[in-house]
Amino acid sequence: MTIKRVTFLQELLAFMGLEGRLHLDWISSAEAQKFVQVVTSFTNKIQSLGPSPLSGDFDMSAIVSSCEAVQDAASVEGG
Amino acid sequence: MQEQVREWLEQGKVDIFLGYKKIQGHPLPHCFTRDNLDESDDLVVGNARYSLEKMATKIAAEHKELKIGLLVRDCNQRALNVLYVWNQLRPDNIETISVNCCPSKLKEHGDCSYLEPEKAAPLKMMIGIDNNMDVKAAEEFGQEDRYKRWMYEFQKCLKCYGCRDICPVCFCKECSLEHTDLIATGSIPPEVPIFHLVRAVHMGGRCIDCGLCEDACPVDISLRLLYRKVNDIVSDVFDYKTGTSADQSPFNMLGEEVTLKPKPI
Amino acid sequence: MDFKLIPSTCSYCGTGCGVLFQVMDGRLVDTLPMKTHPVNEGKLCIKGWNLHEHVVSDKRLTSPMLKKNGQLQEASWDDAIQTTAEKLKAIIEAHGPDSVGVLASAKITNEENYLVQKFARAVIGTNNVDHCARL
Repeated sequence: MTIKRVTFLQELLAFMGLEGRLHLDWISSAEAQKFVQVVTSFTNKIQSLGPSPLSGDFDMSAIVSSCEAVQDAASVEGG
Repeated sequence: MQEQVREWLEQGKVDIFLGYKKIQGHPLPHCFTRDNLDESDDLVVGNARYSLEKMATKIAAEHKELKIGLLVRDCNQRALNVLYVWNQLRPDNIETISVNCCPSKLKEHGDCSYLEPEKAAPLKMMIGIDNNMDVKAAEEFGQEDRYKRWMYEFQKCLKCYGCRDICPVCFCKECSLEHTDLIATGSIPPEVPIFHLVRAVHMGGRCIDCGLCEDACPVDISLRLLYRKVNDIVSDVFDYKTGTSADQSPFNMLGEEVTLKPKPI
Repeated sequence: MDFKLIPSTCSYCGTGCGVLFQVMDGRLVDTLPMKTHPVNEGKLCIKGWNLHEHVVSDKRLTSPMLKKNGQLQEASWDDAIQTTAEKLKAIIEAHGPDSVGVLASAKITNEENYLVQKFARAVIGTNNVDHCARL
């Protein structure tokens, strides 16, 4: 049940462009090594993805101007 | 069709019939009753779509034994199926008359406001999402581009709750979107993208792709596309086709049946 | 069991979106937008969606109220109008007609708005007339 819900959420976030930041695992309190492994690899993965686009203030005009299509349109001569 | 309705009301097959009637030039939903049998001559289909099944749910909540007849298009029928699964309506108390709807070249005549969908404006195509594109096309944008385009759409939100108020399968008495601990009050747009993602998750296993939410959105957010993706996920991951399956949704509160045998103490 | 759907116009702002009231057993229960209305084409703002609550609210006033001894108490129309007229006259005598401002409204008819500005200009004697939509 949990796997289903988490997979669902992962796919939804991926559709929106926030993929790869949710991970699910089952670790018993006796499996210390596995815990270390999972946490380290996930931490590295997150660090390589960089800060979440949701952190910090949301600046719509910056987003608009950095969008490729707008940059293309603005760079057309005489346009 | 009008004769059928008149017959049903006379014979007592239904106590009321929800259809449309032209009032001052507008095709509006109307409740035809046995007391005004002559009105059944005014029954029309019209091209405006209202959520008749949501009205039926409200009526059934107060008058549990009433037999209700409805004029249904394909989308209404799917909504009814979902409402049966979630115990909001009893199939024994509902009778339907189906009408042609689907915007397909194969059907000679269709009565649906989606027959000619509106084209998206140029700015929306440039930095937002085109409402008419399908899920595959929307997944072709790069990850960052996708994020920016969806955030552009979501930050237009006015928090009018129109999408929730008009949705035929939204029936919760206490909506999480109104819970002050979950969604902060006093700001517009409402906590992007949490508000919309919460709604999208709640639509998993319930949304039947009628498009009324997109029609009701004053700022034209591509809600139908988002919920279509949600239902694609539900059908891929859970093998559950909302609206046509007779089983309970994979997201129902009671969870799954336990298959492990209890261990001996 | 009685279920009626009554088309009407939203009474909040000056836009005038078309709404459909759902009346069940004589009670107003819900508001829907009118999809074929040229003004809103099936969309409503949050105020429009909750119009039915405003109409059936317990907090609606049923009679004019006057402040007596620091508390609002029910009064008759004659008393209310008389008190208002006396107080306005006193203010105008003390501080001049330009100390009074008059606000017209989008919820009243054009003819009533005309009366409002006539009242301000001819009766009170001031040009301070404005409309709620400009605020």
